[in-house]
Amino acid sequence: MRSYLPIARGTFMVGLVYRFGFLFTILGNIVYLSVAYYLWRSIYRYSDVIRGLTFNETFLYVGLGSAVFILLKTYADWYIHYEIREGLIANYLIKPIDFQLYNLSANFGSLLMNLLAITLPTAIMPGLVFKVTISPGAGLFLFPISLLLAFLISFSIDYFIGLMGFYSESVWGLSTTKEIIVTVFSGALIPLQFFPEAIQKVLYWLPFQAIYHTPLMMLTRPQQGLDIFLPMMAVQLAWAVILFVAARLFYNQAIKVLRIAGG
Amino acid sequence: MSLIHIQNLSKHFKILNRREGLGGAFRDLFSGNYRTVEAVSDVSFDIDAGEIVGYIGPNGAGKSTTIKMMTGILKPSGGIIEVNGRPPYDNRIRQAQIMGVVFGQRSQLWWDLPVIESFKILKEIYKVDQKTFDRHMNMFNDLVGLSALYSQQVRTLSLGQRMLCDITASFLHNPQVVFLDEPTIGLDISVKAKIRSVIKELNSERNTTIILTTHDLGDVEALCHRIIIIDKGKILYDGDIKKVNALFGAYRTLKLQLDNFNETTIQILNDKLCERFGTSNGITVAETEEFWTDVTIDQARTPLSDVLNFVMSNFPVDDVRIVEISMENVVRKVYDGALG
Repeated sequence: MRSYLPIARGTFMVGLVYRFGFLFTILGNIVYLSVAYYLWRSIYRYSDVIRGLTFNETFLYVGLGSAVFILLKTYADWYIHYEIREGLIANYLIKPIDFQLYNLSANFGSLLMNLLAITLPTAIMPGLVFKVTISPGAGLFLFPISLLLAFLISFSIDYFIGLMGFYSESVWGLSTTKEIIVTVFSGALIPLQFFPEAIQKVLYWLPFQAIYHTPLMMLTRPQQGLDIFLPMMAVQLAWAVILFVAARLFYNQAIKVLRIAGG
Repeated sequence: MSLIHIQNLSKHFKILNRREGLGGAFRDLFSGNYRTVEAVSDVSFDIDAGEIVGYIGPNGAGKSTTIKMMTGILKPSGGIIEVNGRPPYDNRIRQAQIMGVVFGQRSQLWWDLPVIESFKILKEIYKVDQKTFDRHMNMFNDLVGLSALYSQQVRTLSLGQRMLCDITASFLHNPQVVFLDEPTIGLDISVKAKIRSVIKELNSERNTTIILTTHDLGDVEALCHRIIIIDKGKILYDGDIKKVNALFGAYRTLKLQLDNFNETTIQILNDKLCERFGTSNGITVAETEEFWTDVTIDQARTPLSDVLNFVMSNFPVDDVRIVEISMENVVRKVYDGALG
């Protein structure tokens, strides 16, 4: 633990160095939220409840969704792929550290930076400007844990793609494909309730909804009972463990390519 | 017992034979036509604690591959390699604790942060306690005068400053062995001298074993007692530097740009030099690049200044440069049996 905390601290500080970059991300979010507001307003013009969600809940879901989306966007896949392809990974292999935990820590630092610089300012927007409110409930307390699990899942997927640097020259196609799949199937773009029933059932068991839909439901409908939230978190936990271990095994396999075939 | 033990070490890479042209590129998609490249073959040597060894050779000789095997990044194809009694590739994390590495071409410092932050992060990664850390930092400070740089972002450092910081970083956890891969690449003479003195000081102060790869024979001359020359994956020479030094230290190349240069110039120059200094004068004349005539002189036989005087007074010289013999020339001479 002692070896890894300073790494998170390091990436957090790098974030501080480039503090002005965040202003533009926030600005972009304001534009996105304004568009989303009027879009959903017009969709809700003729009925108060669609698919069991009120306008308030939907907009909260979409608004906070974009806040969480930015939070988890650490570009780990790009960084890791770059370091492997450029041979910079040698700098890690000569140190007494674990590559996966190193990157996890580095990403945690970026996550904290994103949280302070982008997510919090973005998250208050729906409340202040558009007068959307969060109702009290047990979900609010589960949210931080759920978000942490979401981070683990999101990181493992990114790490997986980054490791493709051992095999492929370019990560652009893979990363973009992943981004689209995650954005659509996780509920980051449209609440999952708007999908057809059958697809919702399938998506429930996939890791993508565990990244956004699960934590977002805890904020939009926190009054729901534990009997709904706990199974959702169990799915999250299962995916977090499965993906973390799978990425680890993949690394052990991929590193052989480097160590045997040369960098 | 020796700190590094290498016996019959070899490393092969499989490389796809690429064909020419667009059609060839398509056929390569389904090709299984690999050739094996022997980056390192049958290399053996032992290095004792506290030695500074120069590991030199031309580009692509297998230097970096050997270093990568010693640091545990690459797994050997055959042979034995042990650092401090253990094979590096099976105990990577444990072995990393006793090694320091500087890759001259890529920094291990955090690009966007002040220098001191990188040191602090390394302190935690290597689990160095505060007291030892402070002592090290003070020592480096006396040696290098780094404290003025501490608050500067790494990306704003000059190449020389960055290299000094990288070297400092690699010694931070007091490793038993430090690998310096091209530590003076791209640096000017005064910074090179500084880096050499720092390396020498650290070696004598802590008895750290240092393995140095370089293209600059000046580095080797200044630092090493022992030199290992490698080319095409095989060791050409392993021994005292004095013998090699006598060889390349004595040679200088006089580069001349002559007025009215034509096909006969080299022949005329060669004839006149033979006339003046005799036939076994240790002088060779050749044209290496356009309009430049290279006169390589063995100073043990003919003093450089005499040749220079003679040429200047007898030929219309436009420009003159004096250069030390290059790594490639040393290797060629070793091939020719100069070290017998």
